[in-house]
Amino acid sequence: MKRRQLLQGAAASAALGPWVHTLAQDRYAKYKGQTIVVNYPAHPHYDQAEKLFAEFTAETGIKVERDKMQYLRMKDKQVLEMGKRGNGDYDVAVYVVMWKTEYVKKDLLEPLDGYFSNKALADPTWDQKDIIGKYWETNALVGGPKMYLPGPGARPYGIPFGAETGVLAYRTDILEKHKIAVPKTYNELLAACRVIKDKEGIGGLTSRGQTGHQVTAAWLLHLTPNGGEVFDSNWRAAFNNAQGVRAAEILKEIVDTGPAGIPSYGFGEMQNAFLQGQAAMYLDSVAIMGPVQDPAKSRIAGKVAYAVHPKGTQHSAQSGGFAMAIPKNARNKDAAFLFMQWMTSKQADLKIAMSGGNINRWSTLDNADVGKKYALELPALRESLKIANPDWRPLIPEWDHISQQIIGQALPDVITGRKPAKQALDAAVKAAEDAVRQGGWLKS
Amino acid sequence: MSKPETVPRGSPLHYLMLTLLATSCLLPLVIMTMTSLKTEAQIFDSQWSWLFAPTLDNYRSVVQDNHIERYMLNSLKVSLAATLITLMLGTMCAYAMARFRFLGREPLSYSTLILRTLPPAVLAVPVFVIWSAWGIGDTLSGVVLVYVALNLPFTIWLLYGFIDQLPIELEEAAAIDGCGPFKVFYKIVLPLLKPGLAAAAIFTFRLAWNEFILSFILTNRITRTLPASISNYITDTGVEWGKIMAAGVLIALPPLIFTFVAAKQIITGLTAGAVKG
Amino acid sequence: MTSARLARLTPYIYILPAVLVMLAGLMYPILSAVQLSFYDWSLGTDFETARFVGVDAFVEMLKSEQVWTSMGITVAFVLIAVSAELVLGVSLALFLEKPVRGMRFFRTIFVLPMMIAPICVGLIWRYLFDANFGPVNHAVSWLGLSPQAWLADPVLAFTAMVVTDIWQWTPFVLIMVLAGLQGLDESVMEAARIDGANWWQQIVRVKLPILKPILIVTLLARMIDGFRGLEVIYVMTFGGPGLSTELFSLHIFKAAFISQKLGYSSALSILLLVIVSALSIAILLISNPLKAKARR
Repeated sequence: MKRRQLLQGAAASAALGPWVHTLAQDRYAKYKGQTIVVNYPAHPHYDQAEKLFAEFTAETGIKVERDKMQYLRMKDKQVLEMGKRGNGDYDVAVYVVMWKTEYVKKDLLEPLDGYFSNKALADPTWDQKDIIGKYWETNALVGGPKMYLPGPGARPYGIPFGAETGVLAYRTDILEKHKIAVPKTYNELLAACRVIKDKEGIGGLTSRGQTGHQVTAAWLLHLTPNGGEVFDSNWRAAFNNAQGVRAAEILKEIVDTGPAGIPSYGFGEMQNAFLQGQAAMYLDSVAIMGPVQDPAKSRIAGKVAYAVHPKGTQHSAQSGGFAMAIPKNARNKDAAFLFMQWMTSKQADLKIAMSGGNINRWSTLDNADVGKKYALELPALRESLKIANPDWRPLIPEWDHISQQIIGQALPDVITGRKPAKQALDAAVKAAEDAVRQGGWLKS
Repeated sequence: MSKPETVPRGSPLHYLMLTLLATSCLLPLVIMTMTSLKTEAQIFDSQWSWLFAPTLDNYRSVVQDNHIERYMLNSLKVSLAATLITLMLGTMCAYAMARFRFLGREPLSYSTLILRTLPPAVLAVPVFVIWSAWGIGDTLSGVVLVYVALNLPFTIWLLYGFIDQLPIELEEAAAIDGCGPFKVFYKIVLPLLKPGLAAAAIFTFRLAWNEFILSFILTNRITRTLPASISNYITDTGVEWGKIMAAGVLIALPPLIFTFVAAKQIITGLTAGAVKG
Repeated sequence: MTSARLARLTPYIYILPAVLVMLAGLMYPILSAVQLSFYDWSLGTDFETARFVGVDAFVEMLKSEQVWTSMGITVAFVLIAVSAELVLGVSLALFLEKPVRGMRFFRTIFVLPMMIAPICVGLIWRYLFDANFGPVNHAVSWLGLSPQAWLADPVLAFTAMVVTDIWQWTPFVLIMVLAGLQGLDESVMEAARIDGANWWQQIVRVKLPILKPILIVTLLARMIDGFRGLEVIYVMTFGGPGLSTELFSLHIFKAAFISQKLGYSSALSILLLVIVSALSIAILLISNPLKAKARR
């Protein structure tokens, strides 16, 4: 019975083949000749994605104008553009997951369910279930519990693209030289850092540390694995409790045993320190995997292996990255959607992954060629995806402000040794609670 | 004061001091240029070397990949327009202040002296809001408007000082000869003002060409000016030093050229009024 | 129109375009900033949804620890950098005041740093002070000292900021003082020498007093520029680490475009405006070019 259905299906699609292909062409036909403007960050994943723009234009006739920016400055520009009356400049805006709730709260983005169910636009082979679940939950959905978590009320406002989780990368040669086992717990990690700093003379673990968003992100990495949280279930500050303080102290220890200059490190400097051999380990986004193998960027190709984010009292890895969205005031929304759908399709995702970008889909993860190219990286990536935690930071609309101006201003004193962690975090409680009170979360 | 023909040779110590100072002024600029000619590997090398094989790759890259010629053109248009308009409006206004008595002369004079020092940060938010409301939000004209407004107080004040120095007899004579006020201004005063105009032009152009914050807020990817495009090279993988220094060299070139061509005018402009006042 | 009428209207015609532009481009925005400071308005939303909050923004501003810290950092920066520039500039000018052959060439070079775009200056010095690849650390290790993470330490970053300003503006002070010294009458110096004054007395009792007006003007001009400073530090440290290099203009920019609180940032900019205007008025009172001309 099954076999006959299979054969029937195969025959049908063979017959339909050219017609299905024509349908695809029809999807784009209406928009041929239009130009869309895409605002995206200067980030390794998008450096690879860019290379496919010409192919997209060749296949669909839709031209792509680029506006590439530094990712932390994107938000100012995007909010300015998307807040304009009349049409804004951008048809596709790439957001960092941290901004998703703020954008939706300010009603700047188009909800995407309408586009996915629009038969004239939607690609039947696109397959939303194939997009890695944790990425879909973290990057795409807004409107669920706490506004940022999956669940009742959540709708997609963006398509994950350049999504990522966290991984531990380490120099096999250095760990072997000093007989250090691959760290599985935080105690092991910190001990390894000590040994590497003392005996090898280079940094143990590289880390972000720049004032503002970066130092907060670095601290958050160690918060949930050690059982901490930023706010408790009543939205009172919990970041200054024992676990929050422990995470800050862990960060300080990492800075003390790390490469010089961490307090000024953004993502790029952190990554560079590892790639140029100034630190033996790296614990952050999986975006490192492509550049490690690139001889133009890295001195350590071939000497790196990967493991899962170490455990404190539990396993919890970061989840986040970027997603593409359509501003409410975009001029060419349909063409924008077609672009987003095409760039995140199975074929495109595979091509991007093969050239060093992030993997967004299970099918890409399971692909044989990808498996060969990233034989070393994929096992760790799969394990990390299992422990990726969409709730590793509270992505409420007020989060960006809290992360940059409140916690991000308190932590620098801790990592430069000017204030003890407990004191610095206690001092930030009032401002943080004021922010969540203003946002309507904390009722007091 | 020593006569020009007997300008003495300074002592070796004197020249040593001058050379040290000049070196410290030039060294950072030289390093910027060197870095713009290095490859990424050379920049990240942990050894510093004065000698290296230079490459034009960074310049090629900023032209091809980043369309820097578009930004340069925008900067040029904006700076030239702002300079011309500021000079025209400023000269006329300064002339009126220097030669006429009219209602509001005192308040106008004092206002220009105080507005000279307005911090651009104060203007940033309101100008963005107002310019968007007026529909000139992302346009080069909008940028030119705010640059002219920012430069007028200083230009007016500078030219006022120059006009004031001119002997009024020439203009009185021309008026007696039957020249109308505008002709007097145009035929007599303007030609004599050339040094002042040159100084004012240089300062206005410099400000318009170098300005970053307001143009960052008031332009989009099509109208972006050269300084505002710098942020393109601060990427997630760190700063692309080679490329950003190449852009920096391009930004620094016109002011450098001006300085070598017209240093005297610049110094005159700086010291006018400060010494005599 | 009679020629007399035209003559009377002439000045108004001459000043009208400039006045219009300054009203539209400067006065109107300043008044808007005042108006905006009474509202709570978030970037990206319609102005209709902004709440009127009266003087709340000013109260919040005066109570904010960050505002006081930023103001303190700015004042400290201005005092330290400007004093250093004055001392250096005057000393150098006194040493170099004798006109020598080739002086014009050197003076041209001294004008260079202040003509370079502030954003280039910030970029260059950010690179120079880079902890891993910067030439400053290369020079420091060559001298046998240990390289520092300049822009990662609060005190060192502040120092780097001051050093950058000194590099850019000391030549300016030098040029101004040299110009001032050129107005010095030789006969006065002769008289002092005949009276038996030694070189130190000559400087303190003769030269410095004559330089006083230009020194004060330069001092206040530098102070005002210090308060206006934004572009250099924007690209060099963006205020970090912590708030250690958070100049007030940068704090205003961040309040507007990072925290997205347009009303609050307008309140901050009013404060800055008041301070800078006070300094301007101080210049006017001390060395009023208009009054000097009126005396003629």
